Amino acid sequence: MKRILLVLLIAVLSLSAITAAGSQETETQVKEIYFWHAFSDAARSQWIQDRADEFNAMQSDYKVVLETKGSYRDTLQAAVLADKQGTPPHLVQLFEVGSQLAYDTGMFKSVGDIGSFDTSDYIQPVLNYYTINGTVNSIPFNSSSPVLYINKDKLVEAGYDADYVPATFGDVIEVLEAARARGVSGAKFSVNLHAWFFEQWMAQQGAMLVNNGNGRDGRATENNLNSQAAINIGNFFAELSRKNLYTYTGKFEDWGGSDAIFQEGQAMLHITSTADLGNITSAVEGKFNLGVGFMPIPDGTERNGTVIGGASVWVAKNHPADELTASRDFALYMTNMENMVSWHKLTGYYPVRNSSIDALKAEGWFDSDANQIVAFNQLLATKVNAATAGAMAGTLLDNRTIIETAIQKIIQGGDVKAALDEAKVLSDAKLKEYNANF
Amino acid sequence: MISNGQDDNAIFSSRGLLLLFLVPTMLILLVFLYFPAWHSILLSFYRNNLFLGTRKYIGLENYINLFTGPLAPAFIQSFFQTLVLSGLIVAGGISASVFIAIQANKKIAGGRIYRMLLIWPFALSPAVAGTIFLFIFNPEVGIMNTMLDFLFSIKPRWLDSPYLAVMLVVFAAVWKNMGYNIVFYLAALQNVPLDPLEAADIDGAGSWLKFRRVLLPLLSPTTFFLVFTNLSYSFFETFGLIDILTTGGPVGPPGPLDNTGITTTIMYKVFQDGFGGSSNMGFAAAESVILMILVGLVAFFQFSYMGKRVHYQG
Repeated sequence: MKRILLVLLIAVLSLSAITAAGSQETETQVKEIYFWHAFSDAARSQWIQDRADEFNAMQSDYKVVLETKGSYRDTLQAAVLADKQGTPPHLVQLFEVGSQLAYDTGMFKSVGDIGSFDTSDYIQPVLNYYTINGTVNSIPFNSSSPVLYINKDKLVEAGYDADYVPATFGDVIEVLEAARARGVSGAKFSVNLHAWFFEQWMAQQGAMLVNNGNGRDGRATENNLNSQAAINIGNFFAELSRKNLYTYTGKFEDWGGSDAIFQEGQAMLHITSTADLGNITSAVEGKFNLGVGFMPIPDGTERNGTVIGGASVWVAKNHPADELTASRDFALYMTNMENMVSWHKLTGYYPVRNSSIDALKAEGWFDSDANQIVAFNQLLATKVNAATAGAMAGTLLDNRTIIETAIQKIIQGGDVKAALDEAKVLSDAKLKEYNANF
Repeated sequence: MISNGQDDNAIFSSRGLLLLFLVPTMLILLVFLYFPAWHSILLSFYRNNLFLGTRKYIGLENYINLFTGPLAPAFIQSFFQTLVLSGLIVAGGISASVFIAIQANKKIAGGRIYRMLLIWPFALSPAVAGTIFLFIFNPEVGIMNTMLDFLFSIKPRWLDSPYLAVMLVVFAAVWKNMGYNIVFYLAALQNVPLDPLEAADIDGAGSWLKFRRVLLPLLSPTTFFLVFTNLSYSFFETFGLIDILTTGGPVGPPGPLDNTGITTTIMYKVFQDGFGGSSNMGFAAAESVILMILVGLVAFFQFSYMGKRVHYQG
């Protein structure tokens, strides 16, 4: 009995060993391409999964496998650690402000250096950000910029035309004061306390955030956080706060909290990303009429345009050449003309290709939603220069906390110049530390 | 001390056997505690960036930057804030828990349900607790201010008035950890011998005197243990709550407290410098070494000062 069992056991084991070896063989024929992205919500991650499934069905040599590692910065950290351990992913979705950090890790390859990469179809301001040292470094994917959101009902109550859009800081204060004088409730401005908007307002004034051509002519060594352009922004917050026209939750970078304040009718004017247009539109439906306009800028300055926000897809270099090509092909497939059209419709992110915009225009998409076209016009009116290309520096993320602290001091009644001078000292110290690594 | 205990114990006559039984514990401590701690200490002498993977010996420069130069005031502020916040969280947490545990221990109808309900905040993750508080205390649309505005026409700025924000964080941290403390106090109260309390009754002691002179000393072993676990909770585990609720802010009022967020503890600063921003790991390691020393000192004082006053029965 025992002997029979033993024979059976050996038979089963060897059988399974054979099938295991067989299945391994078939698996090695299909090479896996790992794409790490940062979307955890069902809608956007499912969209990416659908594109991966389509790509996998289109050819049989490569299989795109999706993984998420948390936020953008978690994803970058995980990718760096994976690369050190010899198992980097092929594609990584990284945010714009981490560009210098990602570039400095040395684990990525410029997508422009993988075969021929046709960049002619991309919107110029988008391409502008992701071009480093003359080559397009990563593939533009989800791009957005901030716009002004307006509670039109309050605007009309304040005695303004429903289509009025305050163009400057002065206009913002004027319209809020007029609304208050007429007893309109929630006559406030509710942008969340995030340095992203500070960065945008610097670009709008054509001002550089860091020296050496915004860090694009050479490694940045100094931050321009107390320049006149920065002081203009500080003065705006000082005046808003002094006149009690500004509100936020009190927490830094509280996107949801400030959106809630605007959506509940506790504020008249709000600034947030174009990517939230879909969410906010549906949240205020039936509550009030929503208007969208260009971001207001400091009085007396010429509108220079916004910096593109969002993320792009980077290719990790430590892979065989054919896998690099396949990775690039998938990223390009995911961001092709039709896919960028559906991505835009789903999320509100810009379709980063001119051909996608043409397709959307042709099918009348912009006529159906006037607010969407405003966001577009703001992007297309952006002047292409170093200011709107966005800053490159390893410590831009540190700067965000430093800038937010400075603006909070200003909101709490602190001296504008003193707060920004201190921000410059702190950010320069951080940048010096970072640059000492090279 | 150890050798005394060993002599009394007939089962473990050999020292070797005793050490053998300690091996698994020591191994775990070595791998998960002493090695990382040693690694942090080493790291604090290097310029090390997580993203760049650079590693260059710079001696004491990280420590010098902690105490002099532009980055020092923020660290020094967070050092004192850690002490104050921890003190408030431990004192508030322990005293509220003793009070509630004594009430919950009374023989009343539905007492079991009360006891169960008191424990549940402990089952929440810090992130969930933080999010709940954030919703409640949104100054414009949160339920707290909606209510206060309706009743008294006031809308306190919970998250950016420095002292309110500190109070909110302390309150949330105490609330979050109270279930843990109450479980231990309830267990201790169920085991309190009745004789000393009866004796006090016979001697005519009032309820305050009974609590102060009899019950508290009987609970002191539990208190001693809880002070220590609450300290480590307030040093390390409040991180998640702070991150979600205030992100270390708001910046304090003008003066010595305006160099960083007023709810920024050293632990939160370690995170900001090491994993936020440009990830200066060497600098963050130096901060965590200071935190390690601080925790060591606090534990030493607790054991040497408070340890003497603990009354163990039997």
